[in-house]
Amino acid sequence: MPRADLPAAEGSLHVLPADTRRFCAPRARLLAFCAAIAVVMVSGAVLYDSAISTDFAAAYLAPCWEHPFGTDWMGRDMLARTVSGLAVSLAVALVAAAATSVVALLLALVAALGGSWADAAVAWLTDLVLGIPHIILLILISYALGRGAAGVLVGLALTHWPALSRVLRAELVELRSRPYMACSRALGVSRLSLALRHGLPAILPQYLVGLVLLLPHAVLHEASITFLGFGLSPEQPAIGVILSEAMGYLSSGSWWLAVFPGLALLAAVLAFERAAASLRALVLPAEVRR
Amino acid sequence: MQPINRYAASAPTSPAPACLTRRALVGAAALVGLGGCAVFPDAGADSASDGVDPNRTVTIAMSPESEPAAGFDPLVSWGCGEHVHEPLIQSTLVVTDDAMNVTCDLATEFLCSDDGLVWTFTIRDDAVFSDGEPCTAEDVAFTVDRVAHGDTSQADLSMVDAAVALDDRTVELRLSRPHNALLYTLAVLGIVPAHAYGDGYGSAPIGSGRYLLERWDRGQQVVLTANPGYYGAAPAMERVVVVFMEEDAALAAVRAGEVDLAYTSPVRASEDVAGYELVAYDTVDSRGISLPTGPAGGTKVVDGDVAYDAGNAVTSDVAVRRAMVTGVDRAALIDEVLNGYGTVAYSVGDGMPWSSDDMRVECDAGAARRMLEEAGWLLGSDGVRARDGLRASIDLWYTAGDSARQAIAHAFADQMSELGIEVCPRGASWDEIYLHQYASPVLWGWGSNAPIEVYELHHSKGWGNYACYESDAVDAWLDAALAQPELTDSYDLWKRAMWDGTEGVAPQGAATWCWLANVDHLYWKREGLDVAEQKPHPHGHGWSVVNNVDRWSWA
Repeated sequence: MPRADLPAAEGSLHVLPADTRRFCAPRARLLAFCAAIAVVMVSGAVLYDSAISTDFAAAYLAPCWEHPFGTDWMGRDMLARTVSGLAVSLAVALVAAAATSVVALLLALVAALGGSWADAAVAWLTDLVLGIPHIILLILISYALGRGAAGVLVGLALTHWPALSRVLRAELVELRSRPYMACSRALGVSRLSLALRHGLPAILPQYLVGLVLLLPHAVLHEASITFLGFGLSPEQPAIGVILSEAMGYLSSGSWWLAVFPGLALLAAVLAFERAAASLRALVLPAEVRR
Repeated sequence: MQPINRYAASAPTSPAPACLTRRALVGAAALVGLGGCAVFPDAGADSASDGVDPNRTVTIAMSPESEPAAGFDPLVSWGCGEHVHEPLIQSTLVVTDDAMNVTCDLATEFLCSDDGLVWTFTIRDDAVFSDGEPCTAEDVAFTVDRVAHGDTSQADLSMVDAAVALDDRTVELRLSRPHNALLYTLAVLGIVPAHAYGDGYGSAPIGSGRYLLERWDRGQQVVLTANPGYYGAAPAMERVVVVFMEEDAALAAVRAGEVDLAYTSPVRASEDVAGYELVAYDTVDSRGISLPTGPAGGTKVVDGDVAYDAGNAVTSDVAVRRAMVTGVDRAALIDEVLNGYGTVAYSVGDGMPWSSDDMRVECDAGAARRMLEEAGWLLGSDGVRARDGLRASIDLWYTAGDSARQAIAHAFADQMSELGIEVCPRGASWDEIYLHQYASPVLWGWGSNAPIEVYELHHSKGWGNYACYESDAVDAWLDAALAQPELTDSYDLWKRAMWDGTEGVAPQGAATWCWLANVDHLYWKREGLDVAEQKPHPHGHGWSVVNNVDRWSWA
């Protein structure tokens, strides 16, 4: 997960002497990103009704003034559907990423500070989950839980933690070898209190960056599983639903059904990547400089 | 696209001049249009093998779902399964003609006892299986018995107690209850040889029908050739190639001039392909919504011990059901959703000799609103009616993968909201829909060239009674219809079951189903191909189009 070639990292190298600029650019980017998410979520909620309302008199319209993204075979406005779909996908991804990062955090703490037996158990579990392709595990879990938003959420939460968990564990293992930790241990401080008082604060920056980096994965996997028909129900205007519906109409020339929602998904994923880079520059300046 | 490659490669290629004149021109035009479509090798290669006249060959593109998973085995599903059609490879005791009358085929005559319980068929003596053995009454008895008492068949002949061959040419079917509609099942049930039936029959079928199975490449294509030993008129089409393709691949094959007939849907009907015409065949492929008639909170037990939730608080009010049936604008719905490729439906199978005119209802939104007002359903501030605190809101389940059904469900919901009824379309898989089938309205597809569904959908004990409607009067008419020894005598009784003047399932009666549309079956047809008279196609956009392929011809 650590990446040294991020644009933000290069930027901050150039402006190293000027502390203010070093922090302002990533901070502004991060704020802009949060604002963009808020705008998408709010407009998604506002446009939800028009995203599901049908108007058969206006079906199959190519992009025009009234419908900048065109309309689908039931005359639903594709702009409204794209924005609402993105909002639904983002909401699912945010909740799922938050949940899975908590799983990762807990397992990392247990592995690093819980003794060799716990470490082995967590490593085994990590290998197990990593050994099964995400999408297959996701389909199994979502199907077992009756599909729908709950199935996708639980599926994402239970499958996306290993990468982050490994990074956090490595940080904690390094922390464990520090002298002050050894001292605390010798003075009889319990493992739990060590984890909470020293472990958590130390890995918080890595955790935050990892959380944001999980978001694009979650968005893409939610879209994939829904695209395959194991995710959200077809009434919900999620990006995966929209793209899979569009499949049937591509050969008859309705390109706009897939292009705009696809671009929106791409833009969201890229934005998450940039946001994670900015966050990293803010909370892990030392590592970025390295 | 694979199938095309495969069958072209498998057939020796010696381009026939006649074939080139008909096809290569179209093919060349299509190739120019597609910018050199390398995936489709030169058309005509498929048809030129072992001396078959290309003018007596036809290639048809069907959907991959049309490929029979269990092979060409009538004792499982071929011909007489969920989607009925003539089995082609096997022959049937009787057939239905263009006007849906039942006439003889393998049988030379059939009789029914006055009590409707014993059917006697006399078999022709010149029918021979493709392995050279004669087809006798023994084979008929074997086939019927295996369908009636085996556990593999999708066809319902459970009313047959015993099938007995009295001699080589006479077979007797003894029924446990009168059931004249079994003739329609027999019209699609291919007779298999008792001496040669066993494992693997489905992939190497032996029959006495019009065609032989020449080859079957699973997932790709089926090649049928005329059966030289067939007892009837020799098929005009000597070779029939059926390729299985997704809809967009089928359209691409049409553009490339590779197939002579290809299924399509209203979505793609606006295309214009040189050398082809879009044809729409009338169907009894009906789309209708079941309206549960019982109060909410009930339970329905089927198959002995499987309990389902049953009943619906809103549709249990007959005024709501009548208002929906009366208030829906079927013609507008067909224009909007099916691009006009459909006909209004008033019953599970319209236009059949047994279809009742009493099922017809004029669209009248004003009358529908009055019915709701009079029944106490008053408009609320949110535009949805309510009565005693109960909102007129229902779920409507449909199969999620079917975009036409999704569109029908939404268009229906739009129309109902004008009346003040909130309909929430819910797309799901059948597994999930079945859980709600007796408790919520479901958008179904039905329709066969037989009155069996009229019985099963409306009889209190029918397996298709999703409306859970129970009426002694209707049951009595339906039972009486089935008990007639002469089919023609039953037509009037079927009609009375719909409405006998005082009671019935018609719109002015219990209004248990809201029928919407018969979906046309659309095909791209190469100009010059004559597909003869087509019977109304039943549910299932597939093999029924080739019921009469032996009578097709090229101009």
